[in-house]
Amino acid sequence: MKKTISALLSLLIAGVMAAGCGSGDNGSSEDGQNGGEKKVAISFWALNTGWEWLEPAVKDFENANPNIDVELTQYEVDPIKEALKVAASSKTLPDMWFTWGGTLGSFYPENGLTMDLTQIAKDHRWSEIYNKAAIDMSTYDGKVSGIPVHLNVLGMWYSKNVYDKLKLQAPKTFAEFESQLAALKNGGVVPLAFGSKGGWHTMRLTEQLIEHFAGPELHDKLNRLEASWNDPAVIKAFEKIQEYTDKGYFPKGYSSLDPTEAESLFYQEQAAMINEGTWFDGNIMENGFDPNNYDVFKFPNDQPPSRASVFAEMFQINGGSSPEKQEAAVKLGEYLTRPEVVNKYIEQYGSPATLNVNISEKTPHLKTLLDSAGDGAFLITDQALPQEVVQKLFEAQDKLAFHEWTPQQAAEAMDEAIAKYKSK
Amino acid sequence: MTARALKPWLFLLPALTIYLIVIFVPSLYTFYLSFFKWNGVAADKVFVGLDNYADLILHDSVFARALKNNLLWTAGSLILMIGIGLMLALLLNKRIKGRIVFRGIFYFPYVLSGVIVATSWAWMYNPTQGFVNKLLETIGLESWTRAWLAEPETALYAVFVAALWQGVGQPMVLFLAGLQTIPHDPYEAAVLDGAKPYQSFWYITFPLLRETLVIVVATTMIASMKVYDIIYAMTGGGPAESTQVLSSWMYYQTFKFANIGTGSAISFFLVLITMVVIIPYVYYTTKRSHL
Repeated sequence: MKKTISALLSLLIAGVMAAGCGSGDNGSSEDGQNGGEKKVAISFWALNTGWEWLEPAVKDFENANPNIDVELTQYEVDPIKEALKVAASSKTLPDMWFTWGGTLGSFYPENGLTMDLTQIAKDHRWSEIYNKAAIDMSTYDGKVSGIPVHLNVLGMWYSKNVYDKLKLQAPKTFAEFESQLAALKNGGVVPLAFGSKGGWHTMRLTEQLIEHFAGPELHDKLNRLEASWNDPAVIKAFEKIQEYTDKGYFPKGYSSLDPTEAESLFYQEQAAMINEGTWFDGNIMENGFDPNNYDVFKFPNDQPPSRASVFAEMFQINGGSSPEKQEAAVKLGEYLTRPEVVNKYIEQYGSPATLNVNISEKTPHLKTLLDSAGDGAFLITDQALPQEVVQKLFEAQDKLAFHEWTPQQAAEAMDEAIAKYKSK
Repeated sequence: MTARALKPWLFLLPALTIYLIVIFVPSLYTFYLSFFKWNGVAADKVFVGLDNYADLILHDSVFARALKNNLLWTAGSLILMIGIGLMLALLLNKRIKGRIVFRGIFYFPYVLSGVIVATSWAWMYNPTQGFVNKLLETIGLESWTRAWLAEPETALYAVFVAALWQGVGQPMVLFLAGLQTIPHDPYEAAVLDGAKPYQSFWYITFPLLRETLVIVVATTMIASMKVYDIIYAMTGGGPAESTQVLSSWMYYQTFKFANIGTGSAISFFLVLITMVVIIPYVYYTTKRSHL
C-alpha cells in the first residue's frame, strides 16, 4: 500500500515539475498573453428568454477574437433590472449589460455609469449601420449611451380565422375599430386578449387612446411631464378603458391575467386581438402555431401622422471599466449587432436595430411592423414615464376597471404621482 | 476575566463575527439609509430625517394597504397554517394505514419553489379555463365562480390559499416531531382516570407541545411578515395594488423606483414590527416553558 502511495506521489510530483517546466515554453498563454496581445476578460449581462441566439453568437465572437474572453450571465426580466441596480449601488456593474431604453436605461448614464459612445458612433458610422430611431432612443443628454440592438414596434395582432368568420378586415379608423370590438363581442369572441398582470397590455391600449384623444403634441408633453394629466383627453382615454371593461371587451379577470394566459385565449381563437410587438411572430412559433394565420395592423388612432408605439433595447458599457475592457466590449457589442450575425440568427433575433438585414420568411410580420413606424413613433409609456408614475398608471387602469376611481380621479391621481416624483 | 470565562466567547467569536458582518452591520446601514433620500448610486445622500417614515405613514396609501395585508396574512397563518398543521400532525401521529405516504404528500408542496406553486395556482384560478371555476361549475355552483385573482376582494385570500397549501407541511412536521417526544405514560394514566380524548389533548398534548408551539408560532410569524415570492409571482402586488405586502412594496421602492431611503424605511419598519411582536412573545413563552 505504502509503495503504491509513494509511486502515485512520485508521478504527481513529476507531473507538476513537467508542467512547471512546460510553462516556460508557453509563457504567453500562461500569463494572459497570446500572440503578443494581452488577453482581456469582459463580463456581460443579458436577458435569457428570447435570447437563445446570444450564447452561440458570443462563442462565435470568442473564436474570432481569441484574446477576448466573455463571461456571459443571462437573467430573466425582473432579475436583470434588480441585479443591475444592486451592481450599480455596489460599483460592481459588469463591463457590458443589456437594458431597455427610456427611463429604464437612462438611470445608468444619468448617474455617470456608462461609457460615452458618441465619438465611437461617429467614427464607426453608426448612422449607416443602425436605425436612427434606435440610436436616438439610446442617446441621453446628447450622448450616445448604448449600442442599439433591438427596435421594437407595437401593433394589434389579430387572428385571420376569427376575422374571416365574422367577415371583418383590419380597421382603418378608430370608429371602425370600435365597431369591430362590438361585432366581435356579439360574435361570441373576446375582442381583446389582454392579460394585464404587470399592466403592460392595458397600458399599450391606454397610450394609443391618449394618442387618439390628445394628439401627438400633447401626448409627448404628457410623457415628458410637461402637461397636466388632468386633461380632458386623458380623461376620455380613461373613460374608454372603463367602457371597454364594462362592455366585456377584455377577458374575464384580465387585470390579473398573466400575458401568457391571455395569449392562450388568442391561439384558441376565443379572443381576437392582442396588443404585441415585433417579437410576436417568434411567440406564435414557439407555441406551435403558424404566424401566417395571423396578421397585424397599426392602431388606428386617426392622427396625422399615425404614430406607432416603439421601444429600443441596447447594450450599455461600463464607464468605469479599463480602456482595454471597454474596447473589447465595444467590439463585442458591434459584433453582436452587425448584419452578418443578425442574419445568421435572424429567426431568433427579434426585431433588429441594425439596418440592411435579411428578414426571415418565418417572421412574416416583422417588416410590416417596422414599416408601420415609418410615419412616426412615440416611446412606449413604461419607458417614457418615471417608474413611480408608471406604477400609478397601472394602479389607475385597474381601479378604473373596478370603478374604484372615476376617470377624473384617475387623472388627478396621475398628477399627484407626477408632483410627488418632481418634488424628489 | 479568567481564561475559563473567556472560553465561551472564544468559541462564539467565529459565528459572532459572521453574524456581525452579514446581518448586524447591513441592518444598521439599512437603518442609517432610511434617513436619507438616495437613488443608490449618486455620490450625495440627502439627509431627510424621519421624512421617509412620515411619508410612508401619512401619504402612501399602498404602504397602508401593504401593512394591513401583512397583518391579515399573519393572522391567517397563525390560525389556519398552525391549526391545520397541528390537526394533520395529530392525525398522522396515529397508527393509521399509509401514514408515511400521507406525511410525504402533505409535506411535498413545502419543498417546491414558490414560483412553481404560484404558476400552478395562477392557472388553477384562471377565470375561464382554470380548475377552480370548472370544479364549481361541475358541482352546480356556477354562481360562485369568479376571477379569483383579479378581484381586489378575493385576490389576497386566493393567494393565501395557495400559500397555505404549500406551507402547511412545515408546522405539521415540527408538530409531528414534538408529538413523538411525548411519552405514552401520561395518556395511559389519563385513560385509567377516565379522561376523554379532548381532555387528553388539552391537558397532556397541548402543554407538552408548548416548546414546539413557541418555535412554530415564531417562525410562522416571521415568515408571514416577510412573505414575498408567492405574492409577487401570482399577482405582482395587483390588481390595483390590492395584494401588496411590505416586502413587495419595499422591492418596488428599492429596485424599481430607486428610492433606497424609502425602501430601507419599509424594511426597517418590517423589522421593527416583527421584533415588537416576536420578542415579547418568545420571552413570555420561554419563561413559562423549559426552553
